[in-house]
Amino acid sequence: MRSVVALAVLALTACGREAETPRVRPMPKLDGSPALRGGGPARSKRIANYKIEAALDPVKHQLTGTETLSWTNTGETAVDRLPFHLYLNAFKNESTLFMRTSGGDIRGAKASPDGWGWIQIERAQVAGADLTSKLVMPGTDHDETVVELPLAEPVAPGATVEVAFTFTAQLPEVFARTGYAGDFHLVGQWFPKIGVRVGPPGAERWECQPFHSHAEFFADFGTYDVTLTVPSTYVVAATGVLSAAKENTEASTRTYTYRAEDVHDFVWMADPFMEVMSGQAKLEDGTVEVRVLYRPEQKEYAKRHLDAAVGAITKFSAMFTPYPWPILTVVDPPVAAAASAGGMEYPTLVTTAGDTVFARPGMRLPEFVTVHEIGHNWFQGMLASNEPVEAWLDEGVNDWADAKVMAELYGPRSSGIDWMGWQADVVALRRALADDPGSLPSPIATAAASFVDFDAYAIATYESTSRALLTLENVVGSTRFAAAMKAYAKKFAFSHPTGRDLFDTLAKELDQDLSWFEEPVFHQVGGHRLAIRKAKCELAHAPRGVFGSGSGMTRVTAFEMQGFSCEVVITNTGTIHVPVEIELRFVDGGSQRVAWDDRGTTNWKRFLVQRSTPLAEIRIDPDNKLALDSPMQHHQRLEGDGDASLRAAAWFAAATQTLMQVIGL
Amino acid sequence: MTTKRLGFGDLLRAGGRAVSTYTGTLLAVFLVQTLIAMACMVAIFVVLAQAFSHLPMFDDAVDGDLIAIVYCVRWGKPSFLAVAGIALGGLLLWQLASWFLAGGVYGVLDQRPEGRRETARVFGAAGASTYLAYARLALCTLPGWLLVLFVLGVGLGAVAPGLDTALTLTQVLVPLLLAMLPAVLLTHLFWTVTEYARVELTLREHSHAPGVISTYLRTLVWVVRRPLTLLHGGFGWLAVLLVTIAYAYLAQGHPMYGPDGAVTLFLVRLGVSLLRMVIRFGVLGGQLELGRTRPHPPIVVTLDSKS
Repeated sequence: MRSVVALAVLALTACGREAETPRVRPMPKLDGSPALRGGGPARSKRIANYKIEAALDPVKHQLTGTETLSWTNTGETAVDRLPFHLYLNAFKNESTLFMRTSGGDIRGAKASPDGWGWIQIERAQVAGADLTSKLVMPGTDHDETVVELPLAEPVAPGATVEVAFTFTAQLPEVFARTGYAGDFHLVGQWFPKIGVRVGPPGAERWECQPFHSHAEFFADFGTYDVTLTVPSTYVVAATGVLSAAKENTEASTRTYTYRAEDVHDFVWMADPFMEVMSGQAKLEDGTVEVRVLYRPEQKEYAKRHLDAAVGAITKFSAMFTPYPWPILTVVDPPVAAAASAGGMEYPTLVTTAGDTVFARPGMRLPEFVTVHEIGHNWFQGMLASNEPVEAWLDEGVNDWADAKVMAELYGPRSSGIDWMGWQADVVALRRALADDPGSLPSPIATAAASFVDFDAYAIATYESTSRALLTLENVVGSTRFAAAMKAYAKKFAFSHPTGRDLFDTLAKELDQDLSWFEEPVFHQVGGHRLAIRKAKCELAHAPRGVFGSGSGMTRVTAFEMQGFSCEVVITNTGTIHVPVEIELRFVDGGSQRVAWDDRGTTNWKRFLVQRSTPLAEIRIDPDNKLALDSPMQHHQRLEGDGDASLRAAAWFAAATQTLMQVIGL
Repeated sequence: MTTKRLGFGDLLRAGGRAVSTYTGTLLAVFLVQTLIAMACMVAIFVVLAQAFSHLPMFDDAVDGDLIAIVYCVRWGKPSFLAVAGIALGGLLLWQLASWFLAGGVYGVLDQRPEGRRETARVFGAAGASTYLAYARLALCTLPGWLLVLFVLGVGLGAVAPGLDTALTLTQVLVPLLLAMLPAVLLTHLFWTVTEYARVELTLREHSHAPGVISTYLRTLVWVVRRPLTLLHGGFGWLAVLLVTIAYAYLAQGHPMYGPDGAVTLFLVRLGVSLLRMVIRFGVLGGQLELGRTRPHPPIVVTLDSKS
C-alpha cells in the first residue's frame, strides 16, 4: 500500500513539476554577424527606425523603457499628427475593443481574471519639446490601443521626425501571444509603435486601427537597436542579432543589445530555464543559423521543431525568395503557456506550439505549427501586407505555401499524419475537418474586424484562401503557378503588397485575366455546389417506326440492340465556376472522361454517352483539383453496394457484443 | 451449509465443471447474446447501406482511410447517431434478458439437472422465478453505481489539469490509472456483491424468501469479509481483458478485406466472444459454489393472529 501511495505522489508531483532553481548561465556569445545576411544595402525604405532601452522586472512582470523613433514621411503630403499603437492596452480591462470582441477567449486560450496588461506613456517629446499633455486617445468606448500625437510643426514630404517616449509596460498574464506565465516572459507588441501611411501618392492616410481580437498587425519596415536589461539568470532571445552584452554585477543583471534591419516589429523572450538547440539551414546563397529555445522537459519536441525549421527555411527560400537574415529563432513556450504564447510570428523570431503527448512522432502538429510560423517570415515578414484589412493575404497564402513545404519535407501522402499505419496529407486532413467555406456569410476579402465571428474569420482567412489558391493552381498548372507566386514574392518583398498586387502579378505571369476566379472566390459568398443530378442508362436500339415516304417508305419493327445509352446531368448551383472533369466508369471496367467549363454558361450540363455496357460509377473532379467543395458526394455508383456497410455493421455488432459481455450476465 | 472452506483452486475447478457439464446451457446463453448482436448488425447494416451504399468513399473509410473516415462521420452524422441508438437498444435488451439468463444459469448450476429437457425446464423456471428479484436488485445497486461515478469524476477532475500539459505517455497513463483505480475497485466490489446477491436470491428463494435489500447489504458485508470473492471475480475479468487485448493485438495489421475476409473476421470475433462467455460462465460456476457456503439468511415466519 505504501508503495502505491508513494507512486501516486511521485506521479502527481511529476505532472505539476516546476523547473529547478534558476542558475546563472555563461554569458552568451555575440552573434558577430551583420543584421542582414551578408550585409549589403537596405532592402526596404526603412521608414520607422527605433532605438529602445528597456528593463524587465520579473517579479512585477513590468518593463520600464525609453524609445526614440525616427520616422520619415515618404508620402507627398505633410503630416501633422502621428498615431501610435499601444497594443498592451488591449489587455487593460474588460471594456477594451479586444476584450469585448474576444470575450476574453481567443483561439481557445482564456484571459486571466486578474493578470491585466497595460502600457503608459510617461513622457512624449519631439525635438526636445515635451508634448505629453498633447497626447489624445481617439478611440471610443474605452479603447486605449491607439494614441495620437499632434505635432507642433507638420512633417513635410521627405522629412524625418524624431519622437522620444518614456514608458512603462505591464505585461498581462500570457494571453493573445504576449505576457508572462510564471518565469516565462514573451514580450510582444510592447512599445509605442507608429502606424503606417497608406494610399496613393498625394492622398495618403494613416492606417492605425484599434486592436481587434480578429486582427493582427501592420507596421513599416525599419531598423531596431534595442537594449534589454534582465536578471543574470534569464536566457533571452530576440529579433535580430546580439551585438553587445554586458554583465551588471552589482545589480545581478545583464544588458543585451540587439540590432535588427529591415523588419517591422521587435519581440523578445526571457526565461530562466530555457535551453538552446541549434542547426543550420543551407540556402543557395549562404546559411542561416536556426535556434530552438525550449524547456528541458520539451527536448524531444524541440528536436522536431528544429528539423522542421531548418527544412522550412530551405524550402521557403527556394520557393519564393531567400531568407535575408542570418538567424531564425524558434521559441517553444512552456507547455502551460503554449495555448496563449505559442504559434505567433515575428520577424526572425517565431513561437511554436503543439507539444503534447498526443502529438506522437508522425503526428505532425508541432512540425506544422513551426512551418506555418516560419512561413510568415515571407508572408507578412517580408511581404508585409495589411493584416487587419487583408488577413487572407498573409495567413491564407502562407497556409497554401505551408502545405507545399510540409509535402516536400514529409511526403505528399503523409505530410499531416504518418502514425501506426494511418496516413493523411495535411491539405486533405484540414479540408475534411473544416466546415464548408461556401456557407460563410462573408467573402474571403473581408476586413478582419468585419467577420461575423472568429470561426468565420478563421475559415475564410486560412482555410478558404489556401484552398482557393490550390484550386487555381490545379486549374492553371502547378509549375506555372509556382513561378507566378515566386515572381510576386520577389517583386513585393520588403513592401506592403495588397490583394490587388497579388492578382495583378498572377494575371501577368499566367498571362490570363483571372477575374473569373478572383471575383466569385474572394469577393462573393458561396462556393462550388457540384452535384450529380441525374445518371441513368437504358438499352439503346435502332429507331423503330415508319421511315421515308412513297415507294421508299420502310417500316422498322425489329428491336436492334445497340448497347446502352447513358445520360448524366451535372449541376453547379454555387457561385464559383471552374472548369471540371467528370469521369464515367462503366461496368466492363472501361472509363471515359468528359469536361465541363461552366464559366459564363448554364449551371448544368447534360452528357449523353453510348456504350456497350452500362455506367457503373460517376466521379466529378477525379483528380481532386477543386479544393473548395466537399468531395463526399462527388463520387457515386449507380447501383448500391452494401459490402462496406455490412463490414462496418459487423464491426459495430462485435463491439456491441463486447459491451454486452461487460455489462450483463 | 457446507462446512468445507473453499479455496481459489476449488472455485476454478467448479467453473471448469460448470462449463464442461452444462456446455449446452452455455451455448444457449451465447446464442441469445449473439442473436441480439446480430439483430443489431442487421439494423445497423440497413442504416449504413441507406446512407452509404452509393458512395465509394465509404468503402475507403471501412478499409481504414483516415480522410474518408472523417468525411463519412461528418457527412453521415445522423446515420452514426442512429447506429449508436441501435447499439444502445441492443445493450438495453441484453441487460433485460441477462436477468433471466443469469437466473437460469445459477438455477441450473444449483440444481444440477440431467438431460436436455430437464435442464431446459430448470433453466426456464429458475430464470422466471428470480427475474423480478434480479430487477429489484438492479435498482438496489443504483446508489453504488452513482457512488462509482462520483468517485470517478473526483479522480478525473483531480488529474485533468495535469493531462492538458502532459508531454509523455507516462505523464498521462500513470495519473489516469491512479485516478481511475478507486472507481475501478469500487466497480469490482459492487459487481461482485451483485453477483453473489443473485446467487443468494437463487439459492434461498424457495426456502428463505430473502428480501432483496437485506440480501444486498448482507452480501456486501460478506464479500468484504471474504476477499476470495473479489480475487476470483477479478481473475475472471482479467482473463476477459487478456483475451480481448490478445485479439486486438493479433488483429492488428490484418484488415481482412473483401467478402471472404469479412466472413473470416465474423467467425474470429464470434470465437473471441465465445471464449469470453466461457470465462464468465466459469466464474458464475465458481460463485455459485462459494455462495453455497454462506450462512443462511434468517427465515421470515409470518404468524397468523387469528389461528
